[in-house]
Amino acid sequence: MRSILMKEMRLSASPLSFLFIPFGLMFFLPGYPILCGVFFVTLGIFQSYQNAREANDMVFSALLPIAKRDVVKGKYLFTCVIELCGILLMTVATVLRMTVLSDAAVYRGNALMNANLFALGMAFVGFGLFNLIFVGGFFKTAYKFGRPFVGYIITVFLLIGIAEALHHVPGLSILNAFGTEHFAVQLLFLGVGLVIYLAATFLSYRKACANFEKIDL
Amino acid sequence: MGIVEIRRLCKDYPAFQLQDVSFDIEKGRITGFIGRNGAGKTTTIKSILNLVHPDSGEILFFGKPLRDHETEAKQRIGYSTGTVNWYPRKKLREIVGVVKEFYDTWDENAYRKYLDYFGLDEGKTPREMSEGMKVKCNLLLALSHRAEVLILDEPTSGLDPFSRDELLDIFLRLKNEGVAVFFSTHIISDIEKCADDIVYISGGQIVAAMPKDGFVAHYSQPGETLEQTFLRLERGAINA
Repeated sequence: MRSILMKEMRLSASPLSFLFIPFGLMFFLPGYPILCGVFFVTLGIFQSYQNAREANDMVFSALLPIAKRDVVKGKYLFTCVIELCGILLMTVATVLRMTVLSDAAVYRGNALMNANLFALGMAFVGFGLFNLIFVGGFFKTAYKFGRPFVGYIITVFLLIGIAEALHHVPGLSILNAFGTEHFAVQLLFLGVGLVIYLAATFLSYRKACANFEKIDL
Repeated sequence: MGIVEIRRLCKDYPAFQLQDVSFDIEKGRITGFIGRNGAGKTTTIKSILNLVHPDSGEILFFGKPLRDHETEAKQRIGYSTGTVNWYPRKKLREIVGVVKEFYDTWDENAYRKYLDYFGLDEGKTPREMSEGMKVKCNLLLALSHRAEVLILDEPTSGLDPFSRDELLDIFLRLKNEGVAVFFSTHIISDIEKCADDIVYISGGQIVAAMPKDGFVAHYSQPGETLEQTFLRLERGAINA
């Protein structure tokens, strides 16, 4: 498992995958849809898939002394590592905005979504959508990524739009909690987001393994 | 019993069929896999390497089905699928650094020896290499993990006559070390120079799989060269 992840990092990955991780810090931005950070992190990951296809990475990997499902595992591992790095930065920003910056006027007067545990949960859902729609879609052919990526873009921006709008719906202002307000409910939102991420990734991985096994390279 | 056994391999494509392909690859022998363009050589080789899924049939490596022992089989084989550019902008050193982690049997001394023997520069990227050097790179990787079988898809295509001759000499040397070499080609003189066995495929079917001497005795007419024999067979007189 370590070898295949190293192969992804050292041979297949585009430097942009790593360089786009700091977009997770968009969670600091006031007056900006912070969940766009998810999209930019995944845009960086997308570059690695493009890189891999151009470098004949799938055939090269399939010829290594590993089972074909391990080739899929490598791609998912790499994707999840980058996503979790993005989540880590988002978490740092969220924790700071929930604690030392919770009363900052620039955030209090922000009409857009606040960085809180609900936002983090939504970030997990966004990454889950990437794994389900884009990565899973890529492994239907192991070379076509245009359609899955467009599908993912549409879905993730719908998610961002909905997440941004929800707290304006009467009765749902709890979603935009500041500091540690409604902490238990916020924690629940984070937990639900994490479960959706894990479920989407696992289902996508299983289907991708089955698809990749059948593909003639 | 061969070191690699291919049994009744079938694969249907809309415009092409691989039908009942069966043959063995023997230890310490060089097998030339010959056929014209589109005869099914690459499909067969890709099936042997588990890149293409046959509709039916079985492939055994070292007596064990590839289906259930893929990782183990791949540890013991080396391959070259034409002159494909792997990671064209990565240095050979970086590619090797990653690849060697996958092999339990990686031999750094052998790697250094063949690197020197092939005259390859670790600092070069595949896009800076000639076609011959790319083939040698694949061979370098294969030989550095002490592959017992080499499966090579048209390794001599695109090579100049000197590099081709050099490569065929390497095959002979490997054979003497007990390595089984299986290579596809449509260049008859490659077969004439070094093959012990011939597997001849035409239209997706194996026409002959036998020692070269036996092939000549069975198919060639008096005074005919191997090339003339193949040309005659391909022109439709396979059963002549």
